Amino acid sequence: MAQSIAIDTTFWGARVLGVAAVERELTRLRRAVIAHALEQRLVAARASVLNLIVYAEREVHARRAAKSISELALRHPSRAIVVLADRGAREDVEARIEMHCHLPAADNATQVSYEQILVRARGDSRQRVASAVIPLLVPDLPVFLWWTGAPPVGGPPFGDLLGVADRLIVDSSDFARPDLALPSIARICSQARGLFGLTDLNWTRLTPWREMVTSFFDVPAWRPFLETTTGVRVGFAVDMDGRDIHPSQALLFIGWLASRLGWRRVDELAPSEAGGLLFAIARADGARVMVRVRPRFERGLEEGDVSGIRVQAERDGQRAEFVVKRQPDERHQTSTVLIDGRTRWERTVPLPSPAIVELIGEELAILGSDRTYEEALAALVRLS
Amino acid sequence: MIFGGSGDLAMRKLMPALYNLALQRLLPAAFCVVGTARRPLSDAAYREELRLAVSQHSRTKPLNEEVWRSFAENLHFVATSDDRGYGKLRETLDRLDHELGTHANRLFYLATPPPAYASIVRAIGEHRLRGDTGWARVVIEKPFGHDRESARELTEILHTVFREDEVFRIDHYLGKETVQNILVMRFANGIFEPIWNRQYVDHVQITVAETIGVEERAGYYEQAGAMRDVVQNHLLQLLALVAMEPPAAFDDKAVRDEKVKVLRVLRPITGDDVRMNAVRGQYGRGFIEGVAVNAYREEPGVARDSRTETYVALKCWVDNWRWEGTPFYMRTGKRLPKRSTEIAIQFRAAPHQLFSREASEGLEPNALVLRIQPNEGISLKFGAKVPVQGIRIRSVNMDFDYGASFMVEAPDAYETLILDALRGDATLFTRRDEVDQQWAFVDPIMEAWGASPTDPPIYEAGTWGPIEAHVLIERDGREWRKA
Repeated sequence: MAQSIAIDTTFWGARVLGVAAVERELTRLRRAVIAHALEQRLVAARASVLNLIVYAEREVHARRAAKSISELALRHPSRAIVVLADRGAREDVEARIEMHCHLPAADNATQVSYEQILVRARGDSRQRVASAVIPLLVPDLPVFLWWTGAPPVGGPPFGDLLGVADRLIVDSSDFARPDLALPSIARICSQARGLFGLTDLNWTRLTPWREMVTSFFDVPAWRPFLETTTGVRVGFAVDMDGRDIHPSQALLFIGWLASRLGWRRVDELAPSEAGGLLFAIARADGARVMVRVRPRFERGLEEGDVSGIRVQAERDGQRAEFVVKRQPDERHQTSTVLIDGRTRWERTVPLPSPAIVELIGEELAILGSDRTYEEALAALVRLS
Repeated sequence: MIFGGSGDLAMRKLMPALYNLALQRLLPAAFCVVGTARRPLSDAAYREELRLAVSQHSRTKPLNEEVWRSFAENLHFVATSDDRGYGKLRETLDRLDHELGTHANRLFYLATPPPAYASIVRAIGEHRLRGDTGWARVVIEKPFGHDRESARELTEILHTVFREDEVFRIDHYLGKETVQNILVMRFANGIFEPIWNRQYVDHVQITVAETIGVEERAGYYEQAGAMRDVVQNHLLQLLALVAMEPPAAFDDKAVRDEKVKVLRVLRPITGDDVRMNAVRGQYGRGFIEGVAVNAYREEPGVARDSRTETYVALKCWVDNWRWEGTPFYMRTGKRLPKRSTEIAIQFRAAPHQLFSREASEGLEPNALVLRIQPNEGISLKFGAKVPVQGIRIRSVNMDFDYGASFMVEAPDAYETLILDALRGDATLFTRRDEVDQQWAFVDPIMEAWGASPTDPPIYEAGTWGPIEAHVLIERDGREWRKA
């Protein structure tokens, strides 16, 4: 009955017994690398600038995370502690912790820059996880906690691990129920203000969109339109059948606008259309902004990714539209300004790759909290 | 001469250390070990027991049979359950002296439980085991008494047979490479000493954290507690090494004189101060490295209502010119999340904040961390610019890893100390006045706790001590490091 996942030791390294044994084994592996470097008259060093704890309940997530981190090792040398836990409390499996460790061979033999430890938590090990992870952290280095899936509201091991983390990384595109998960993240965020920062990879994916939208209003002639926005349309990708609806990214964009522009509450909520949303928001001056968030099928896009944004505004009898679109080649973004239906300006720029490696790489450079995100999230929660 | 020659300490530490010294060709040419204990044992049986113990506990493996064979030939055992036994012991020592030409140079190692010290010292005197020629030294293990009074009594007993310069009180922490390196780092380098004072140092944190519980030592630990077991000796030694003034020479007198001076000006924590500056705790149930563990009071041999502390946190002041206004925070405990001994010198922040709050969010104060165990090394934390556009600052570590730099395994503390004792170098041993000052600091706190009607606060095993310990430091706007 109790079918445990066999651990692939070629990927995760040999099984070791206990924290002290992990350290011994890593030291041994490190020395082997250093000795090898010395033979070639190179100076080898151990580099490590952060601890990264990954929590996953599926091996595929754990493995994907580990691979991403190892690819980042030269930019962000780290010790990664990947926790792979059984989903839920399984009473048929004895609760216990097993550990594996590994020093993946780097291209650059002069540096030991990535140490990987797998903490396999079997059965109902919720209470045990933190006690196995915390002693493995390299002292004095910041701790990032990357939680795959929607984080639970509290309790072990989430609460325990969060207690030692400087930054929590989540990916709201993975959330099955963003309407529940986003508010709970916002709560975690406001409760722990100052204790740790929060990052949503989905927010990072939004960065090029935010940059493009912001850049419209750097132009003095167009700046005033921002105050008189009348409508916002955001398209996001769904699969062909339109079954998997993940509007988190699009919603975060709305939340961001609302928090920046002082938009308040929803005036009226129109019935959702084909998995999308249609609603009205009150501008700072009380006027209404119509917001439409719409799912679209687009080949090559990850579900949930924003595919296009259109901001509409009226001022002094002029109708302006600010449009940002993804090019069909997926590698470029085009932004267009239309005044009274006529294209005034257009430009195309490269769109950064949304690969998870890049996203994580960006995030690991930041230690403090991302106030803009936190405010966008809070605004979004207020709106809904 | 090892008293308690078939005991735990001899088996786990002393014999493996001696064997490793032999392996490194560091033992004198004419050398033998006589073990003694109550129960009778033949030389052959004794050697066999030791062989097993050494092959299990030695830091070098496997056992080098050649070296062991010649080493074992010089191992002897004499049972001393009564006067006749001691008579036989003396005969054996005299005979071996004669055979080896060792001139009655004798090192007596008291590896027995402390209650036996007095009778052994008396027996050494009565049976004239010291010999008439040559030198005699006695090594004793902590605890050196259980308070100032009993420590003085113990010293008096020792002094009936040995002079103070013949008494070697061992604190194995001082034998650790990295502990000795504190002195080397401070006094062999020019760059640290100028900033090693109140002007630059905000505070100092000393941590001795263990993950283990009381294990089989409940009988001793119930009486001792963390204060007597760790604070009185190891923690105060580390404090003295960090805070002391530069000695004029690296010899036993100069170094120990300076250490005593620090202990003498360590501001006593007495009366009401105890509540403010000393925190105790006792571990409850919890998890260590993923395994569920019992509360202290559930451990075998521990009273169900025991009030013994397994955790101590202190805020101390060294009242002298160098350290005025710089607090020393110390903590030790069992069943903490991680085994770690370290000293952190936390420096003051830069006087003027040049960079925006946002840019410097990841910046922490400079800290110099001396890691004693595990992963012996030194690291210096400083702020660096993150390689992105604009200014973003993050703390990074400059790391010196002992093992990776020297690529050799450091000798065990006992090897270092036994060799020093054989050579007669007492620098790394604790002198009478040091012990006396250590107890002078510890006693008032223990008295206050003893008189208190309340139990020590309970902390969950696998956490960094009771909430009170966090309050102790956070009250000052500081926090315990993530060791």
